[in-house]
Amino acid sequence: MGTDSAKIPIIVDKDLEEIIPGYLKNRLKDMILLPQALASGDFETLRVLGHRMKGSGAGYGFAAITEFGKKIEIAASKEDPFEIEKNIIALGDYLNRVEICYK
Amino acid sequence: MEIPDHILVVDDDPEICQLVGNYLEKNNFRVSIARNGREFSGFLEKEHVDLIILDLMLPGEDGLTLCRNLRSRSNIPVIILSAKGEEMERIIGLEMGADDYLSKPFHPRELLARVKSVLRRARSLPNDLIHEKTESTVFRFSGWSLDTLSRQLFTSKGESIPLSGSEFNLLSIFLTQPNRVLSRDLLLELSQGREFDTFDRSIDMQVSRLRRRLRDDPKNPQIIKTVRSSGYVFCSRVEKTS
Repeated sequence: MGTDSAKIPIIVDKDLEEIIPGYLKNRLKDMILLPQALASGDFETLRVLGHRMKGSGAGYGFAAITEFGKKIEIAASKEDPFEIEKNIIALGDYLNRVEICYK
Repeated sequence: MEIPDHILVVDDDPEICQLVGNYLEKNNFRVSIARNGREFSGFLEKEHVDLIILDLMLPGEDGLTLCRNLRSRSNIPVIILSAKGEEMERIIGLEMGADDYLSKPFHPRELLARVKSVLRRARSLPNDLIHEKTESTVFRFSGWSLDTLSRQLFTSKGESIPLSGSEFNLLSIFLTQPNRVLSRDLLLELSQGREFDTFDRSIDMQVSRLRRRLRDDPKNPQIIKTVRSSGYVFCSRVEKTS
């Protein structure tokens, strides 16, 4: 039975093992930058951060990060703070629960 | 010891650069990074590069402009990176002479496969068509001329006809081997670096597009003739001047 706090297992290419910790650390930094940009109504910063997550997430093995990035980018283009906030919370939850296995 | 191929990654996103750089270096490539058009141009002036991976969305001069400017002076293979939803830019990029494209996000293994394929294709072209040329070779045939340095095709009246990267490759192969039957699998391998499969009609479509460029009647072609069950033959006298 899954719960909201259950781990999300992700299999990542072993060749990427060295750079994954840095990538996830940068996402944790985004979890500070995104709410700050939202609080100040800086939709351009939100759009750029979303766009970059969209472009890189799945390449590092995190398809969900690409999806959150895409939703944040679209919502920032529409200046929709509620949709942005919803996806920042979902991204934070995902980052707390993701568990990586290198293969 | 074999010298590794040198790949230049042009992207302003440090995480894409790290992903590509790390993966390619693990697979025995040498990788350099340029974050914008100025660094890109400066780099090419002082370093030998075997292949360029070029993002379309760059600060300042965009990737399309860089690709067009590069093609006016060099045939270094280019793979375009573009975000999904930039289909038109990707098509324009290919028309400006890029050799392949990949949408973001991409799996680095797929990028590696494309890098190898594009390099293999570039190296299978005749020596006088390979990248970093400083002098042009002009092929003349049936009233047409092809300048290999600028990759431009000209009519007898001097009108320029734009060619995509794959059309240029295909025409170049025909011009260096005229009046010889070339099989579909050989043409596909030489022009695209991949193997033919029985259901693959892409080489026929490319030939068809090239005939249109050369105004060669598809119902009764005079320049590129189909040889039933075999392939194609370029039926024209070709003169080459350097």
